[in-house]
Formats: sequence, C-alpha cells, structure tokens
Amino acid sequence: MAARAFQRLPSAPAGRILVLRLVAIVLSLFIIAGVLALSGHSPVTLAELILRSTLGSRFGLEDLALFMCPLLLTGAAVTVCGTIGLWNIGAEGQFYAGAIAATGVALGLHGPAFVLLPVMTIAGILGGMAWITVPTLARAYAGVNEIITTLLLNFIASLLTYYLTTGPWRDRISGAQVSTQRLPVAIPEMWGIVHWGFPVAIVIVIALALVLSRTRWGYEIRIGGANPEAARYAGIPVRLRIISVMLLSGGLAGLAGMFEVAGTVHRLQGGMANNFGYLGIVVAVLARGSCLNVIPAALLMALILDSGIVMQTQQLSASVVLAITGLILFMIAIGDELAHYRPVASTTPKGKAS
Amino acid sequence: MNKQSTPPGVAPGTPPVLQLRGIGKFFPGVIANKDVDLDVWPGEIHALLGENGAGKSTLMNVVTGIYQPEEGEIILDGYGQTFTSPQEAIRAGIGMVHQHFKLVQAFTVAENIHLGWDEAPRIASPAVMEARTREISERFGFPVRPDARVCDLSAGEQQRVEILRVLARKARLLIMDEPTAVLTPEETGELFRALKAFRAQGNAVIIISHKLDEVMEISDRVSILRGGRKIGTFNTADCNPSMLAATMVGRDIVRRNMRARPEGAAPIAPDPVMQLRNVSVRDDRGVDTLRDVSLDLHGGEILGIAGVAGNGQRELTHVLTGLMARTSGEILLDGNLVERADPALFVQAGVGHIPEDRLRSALAPSLSVTTNMALREYPYPPIGTHGLYDAQAAGVLAGDIAELAQVTIPDFAMPIRNLSGGNQQRLVARREIRIASRVLVAAYPARGLDIGAIATMLGYLTDLRDQGVAVVFISEDLEDLLNVSDRIGVMFHGRLMSVIDAEAADMATIGLLMGGRDAADTQPGATQ
Ligand SMILES: Nc1ncnc2c1ncn2[C@@H]1O[C@H](COP(=O)(O)OP(=O)(O)OP(=O)(O)O)[C@@H](O)[C@H]1O
Ligand SMILES: [Mg+2]
Repeated sequence: MAARAFQRLPSAPAGRILVLRLVAIVLSLFIIAGVLALSGHSPVTLAELILRSTLGSRFGLEDLALFMCPLLLTGAAVTVCGTIGLWNIGAEGQFYAGAIAATGVALGLHGPAFVLLPVMTIAGILGGMAWITVPTLARAYAGVNEIITTLLLNFIASLLTYYLTTGPWRDRISGAQVSTQRLPVAIPEMWGIVHWGFPVAIVIVIALALVLSRTRWGYEIRIGGANPEAARYAGIPVRLRIISVMLLSGGLAGLAGMFEVAGTVHRLQGGMANNFGYLGIVVAVLARGSCLNVIPAALLMALILDSGIVMQTQQLSASVVLAITGLILFMIAIGDELAHYRPVASTTPKGKAS
Repeated sequence: MNKQSTPPGVAPGTPPVLQLRGIGKFFPGVIANKDVDLDVWPGEIHALLGENGAGKSTLMNVVTGIYQPEEGEIILDGYGQTFTSPQEAIRAGIGMVHQHFKLVQAFTVAENIHLGWDEAPRIASPAVMEARTREISERFGFPVRPDARVCDLSAGEQQRVEILRVLARKARLLIMDEPTAVLTPEETGELFRALKAFRAQGNAVIIISHKLDEVMEISDRVSILRGGRKIGTFNTADCNPSMLAATMVGRDIVRRNMRARPEGAAPIAPDPVMQLRNVSVRDDRGVDTLRDVSLDLHGGEILGIAGVAGNGQRELTHVLTGLMARTSGEILLDGNLVERADPALFVQAGVGHIPEDRLRSALAPSLSVTTNMALREYPYPPIGTHGLYDAQAAGVLAGDIAELAQVTIPDFAMPIRNLSGGNQQRLVARREIRIASRVLVAAYPARGLDIGAIATMLGYLTDLRDQGVAVVFISEDLEDLLNVSDRIGVMFHGRLMSVIDAEAADMATIGLLMGGRDAADTQPGATQ
C-alpha cells in the first residue's frame, strides 16, 4: 500500500494556523492580482491605491476603525455564544433592534447629550437583548434550535427598519430616502471621524476575554459548552447560564447597532446593518473561539471590506468584490484545515522483514 | 533481529500477522512507548497487560494508524507498513474496538455497520442494509437486531455491533481495548466464545484487560508493558494471576481484609446521613428502573451494592446525588426532606460522586486537566472568591490532586482526554474524595484501574469510612465488595433485594440474590 506522507491530527497548534493563514492570504492576493491583470486592470496600481486608502493614510486608518467597531462587537457576540456551544446567527437582527431602540430614544426624548447618550446606549443593549429573548427562552426551556430562530428574526428586524424609515420615522426635514432625520445627538469623536465607540468596543472585547477566563460565570460557561452533562453533574444551572449568555450576546450586537447609528451613520437607515451581523459570524470563526482573537479577526475583516470599497471606486463591480472576499476567506479556511496535517515522521523501510 | 520459530499449529514459514520492531511513541514530556517488539501469530489470542498509563492503548493506536510511531516499524505478514489512518489499517485487515464506542447513537445497527464502508452498496435501502447485516451477523455468529437503534442497545449489544463492523471489513487481526469493562458476566462469556471461534478460523486477537482471571481464561500468550517498555511475553499456560500482577507492577500486591477498622477510626454513626424511603423511578418509556428502594446511609460505614450491571445501579447513584428525580418516595438528607433533585444541593451537603461513565459525565474531555480538576471546588476559596475564578489556585489544586492520585502529568494545560483511561479515573476519584465530607457514591470506581490501583482505591474508601464518611460502593466484583463493605445490598430488576451483613455474607448467597432469588430462600438457617 502506498504510504501517504501526511496525517491529520485532531487539533492544530495556533502558530501553525497563523502561518498557514498568512500563506493563504498571500496566495489569494496573487490569484486576485493574476485575474485582475488578465481582465485589463493593473494590480500594482490597484494595490498601491488600496494600501494608500487603508493602512497607508490617516483617512484610511480612520475608515478601518469605523469598520472594525461593529465587527468587534458582533464578532464578540457570536464568540461568547459559541463558548457555551450555541450559535447566534441573529446578530444582524439584534444590531437593527439596538439601532432602532437607540434611534427611538434620540427622536423621542429631548435633553442634553450627556443624558441622552447613556440612555441610548442602554436602550440599544436592551433592544438587542429583547430581539434574542424569544430564541433564548425557546432554547433554554424547549430545546428549540437557536440557529433557525435567531436567523429568522433577522428578516423581521430588517423589514421593521425599512418600515420605520419609510413610514412613521421617515425624514421629514431633508427628505432623505429610507432614512430618519439626522439624530440630534452623536457619540463624540475621538480621532478624526473615529468616535469613542471604537475604543469602548476594544475594551469590551478584552473585558469579555477576562470574564470568560477569570470569573466563576465564565468557568461555568466554558464547562457548559464543553460538556453539558458534566456541568449538570457539577450542579451548574446550565439553563440559567444559557439564558445569560444569549442575552449578553444579543446585547453586544444591539450595542453595535447603537454605536453605528449614533457614531457613524447618525441616522437610522434601511439596510444600514451592512451584513455586520453575518460578518460577525465570519469574525468569530476566524477567531476560533477566543475573545482576544476577535480583535485581529475584526481588523482583517475590516481591511477586506475597506479594500472592497476602494475597488468599487475603480470600476470593479460589487459582485467582483464579493467574489474576492469569498476567495480570501475560502483560502483561509483551507489553510486552517491544512494546519491539521503533519508530515509522517516515519522512515519505515519497505520490503520483506528480516 | 530476534527471528522466531513458528509456533505449533502454524504452518512452517508462515510469518506472524503482526510484528512490531522497536516501536517508540513520544508525547511532550511522556515516553508512551519505547523499544516495543511484539509478534502476533495467526490463530492466537494475545493479551496485553500493564498498569494504568503503561502505554497499551497508545501502542494499539500506533498499530491502527491513529498515531504515527517516532521509532520502529510495523510489519504485516512480513511486509513493512505505514498506516496514516484507521481506514488504511482496516483495509489491511487490522480492526480495533475502542473502549469508548464510536457508534452513531441515532442510527440503526444496519446503518452503523455500513457507515463508511467501501463495500456498502451505492444505493442502499434500509431493507437491503438490514438483510446484509443479518447475513453478516449470522456468518460471524454475533447475533444483532439490524433494525434496532444503537441508543436502545445495552453496552454488550453495542460492542457486538462494533465487532461486527470490524469483522465485516474482513479483519484478520481484531484489537480490543478493555472490552469486558462494561460487560455483564454472561456478555463476557458470549464475547469469549465468539473470540475463540474467530481464532479457530486462523485469525488473531489482541485483547487489553486489567482482569487477570479473564486473561488466564481467554489468552494463549501474554505480553506485559511497564512504563512504555515491554517486560516480556509469556505463554499463558506458564502463568498464574499473582505472578502476572507482580510482573506488571514490579512488586507484590498484598490483598488484605480491609473491613477491620484501625485504632481511632470513626464509629458507625447512629443517625443516618441520607435515607431513601420507598423510592421509585420510572423512565421516559414507562419502565420502572428503580422500585420501592429504601435504605439508610450511616457515617463511618461502607454500604456495598452488588448486582449485575443494568439492574438499577445507575438510577440509584443518580437519585443519591440529585441527578435524577424520583417518581415516588422520599429522600432525606440529615433528616430533612429533599424537595427536588438538584445536584448543587447534594454537592453543598458534601456528597461526592464517582460516576460510572467518567468521560461522559464527570469530565469535559476537551478542556485542560486544571480546569477539570476545579470542577467541584471552583465556587469556593481559594479558587472562587467574589465571583472570580483564580486559575492559579486551580493549578495548585490540580497539582495536589494529581500528586495524591499518583498520576504524573507533563502539562496541566493539555486536554484531559490525553491522559490514559485509568489515570483520568484516578483523578476523578481523588477529586470526589476531597469534597465527600458526608457521603461518597462510588459507581464501579475500580473499572479501568490496574490491579495495584484497585487496592489503592479500596484503601481510599476505607480511609473515608474511618473519617466518618458514609460510602456507597457499587461494584460487580464480589471479592472487592466483601473486602471493604460493612453491609451489602443486592440489586435485581430495580429492586434492592436485601441488605445483609458482610460479616455473615458469602459469595454463594450474594450470587443467588443477584439472580433474583428471594432472601428468605437463601439466608442460611432461615426458617419456614
Ligand atoms: N494524545 C496524547 N497526548 C499526550 N500524552 C498522551 C496522549 N495519549 C497518551 N498519552 C500519555 O501516554 C501514556 C500512555 O497512555 P495510554 O493511554 O497508552 O495508557 P494505557 O496503558 O492504555 O493505560 P490505561 O490502563 O489507564 O488505559 C500516558 O502517560 C498518557 O498520559
Ligand atoms: Mg488505555
């Protein structure tokens, strides 16, 4: 029998994954460059332009930070839920719910920013939590699969946003389409157009990492995710923990919506979630279950998104950009899989044994 | 190298089915195997013995391609081989049945047999698969019900399915890792008959076991591993159990009567810590798994529970530890009625629990050794203060437990599933003993332990007894039960047949009770 030279291991060391991911990214960049060159674009000029408008300039960095902010929070939302073994596919809907709740406060209440902003923040978090409440209770008490329930609620949240922004809350001042009027308050800016939501999101992600590894609650969540039966055996109230984790997850996604509406867009708009909720799943997968890894994963995702926008300004259609995004993520997935393989260190001679 | 003459009964010039030459397998900080040579001939049942962590499972995982050896070679029918996966090994005729079954619980027997099989028909209706399964089962003499779902089968039946899966793929060498640990005596008898039939067709078997009597009964030759190296291979006919045990651990094992209490031991407490009154449990399918059980647990006493596995022992342990709600009856802790089944309540009351299936219910296999060792004490200082979890304190605790359990652990951050089966068991036992300040419920605590470790384990139980803890010791091994118990209860069909004084008990009486005979007909000197 022909001896294959590689063996698949059940777990892969982190360093090897990192290296293979870098290789995957570089490889996909070459493939993209090749295809672009064949179709008459200059990859070098394009690369230069992308670099200049992302990492290579102040404005680029500001844009990156703005993209990262919601991705950090939705990525953390999915990661936290994953720790107890559940998938929150509904960050998109919770994002809208948070944005709607915050907008409702901003449009309905009057007062100084230092009063309104905290109320909007709380409203955003509660909005996200409210949106995941039904899936949470269904999961905890009836064992209903959370993947489907959270997903379906996304469509409702999205449609609700369209309804509000074209109906009761439509912009009656400047007549902007599918949008509310500009909110009277905004999260203050910290650095250029980057608002304070960005550092807060980073702090939240770090704090979550600490909570998961350094608190009793976090310990119970980890046990519950690794083996629910052992958790029950240890007297951990698994049902309560599921409820708290899912609500926290929804709250994080809702906060992302509040930051987006009050810090970046300044209006509630139809379609404003921009797939940040779904991309949160991608971020969480890239982060491989570790909260701290959410930060570099969100950065990578933000880079891809930002580059995509630059390419669109260069007459590349949105679907080409989407295909490129898909290619990079696909190559990373292959890299992750390859990281499990190890060359067989055997020097077995073939043939008749003595 | 050591060229061996063909043993009697094998045609001259026939090479061994399997030859291992100088196998070495290393994990970070552990030499799991080193310089292991082994020959397995067609038509032999070869037993593999060794202490917990001696490297038996690892060696067999090397043979079946789950691990790659760092050193040495594997020779099959005279030809060098490298397997990179169990699938390749089975194609070459080597099949393994693991101690933790790898069947898909929700599938039928026929589906499991055909899963991932090259020769399965491309378009297979359930009827076709079931017919094929029936044919295979008759051909090899392992009766199974092809249309039954695996989750509804007993451990013994599941094992038969595992074996059939392997045999259907034309295995000539069958490797079994502690197959009898989960079997009833009858099931063990059936398994051995089948293995002998398999051998009679010129096939070979490697069997790992800690039960020396079984090794004596079933094997032709025995190889012993110690610390990853092979000590030797012997003809079983030239061996006896005590010599095997001594060779295995490198010293003599003294068995003593442990029922006698030392000076200063806590006396049996007059008031029971825990009481069951007419407790019954009915499962989801409406079967009464526990019927009208009443018993009192006293501090400073070991209550042995005998019985063939599957007669309500699991339900009894779960009721005693709050994992299962009773359908009727009462449970009292310190004389207070326990309203609802809540494991946390029992943990707080100082009830420790060594469950039957450690890996599934007492450990999170993918998490670190440290994390697993903290499972019982994380809410309390020094690990848990003000809602925090102190990983460093947990590390200290894990170190303490490992030291007491006499398990060397190269890296406390590695997943606990990397430890040998017996070492996981030792750690769970020590962890539970630490928190068992009032009661310890130990279900088959000796299962998977080597013979030296069993003696140590029984010592743990008597130590607890001497400290005034009430111990419930569930076992199938009557000798162990009689060795340490003060009273022995026998379970049959969910009923606690009777509780007798261990002093007055003898194996024959208990054996009759285990078969469902009434105490009145068996008690010596009973009138009427
Ligand atoms: N994947 C792994 N990573 C690290 N160490 C391992 C791994 N697998 C096994 N070991 C170590 O190798 C040694 C041998 O383990 P093995 O499981 O072969 O023992 P065993 O003889 O089967 O013992 P038992 O009777 O307890 O089942 C142990 O010290 C174990 O901790
Ligand atoms: Mg083993």
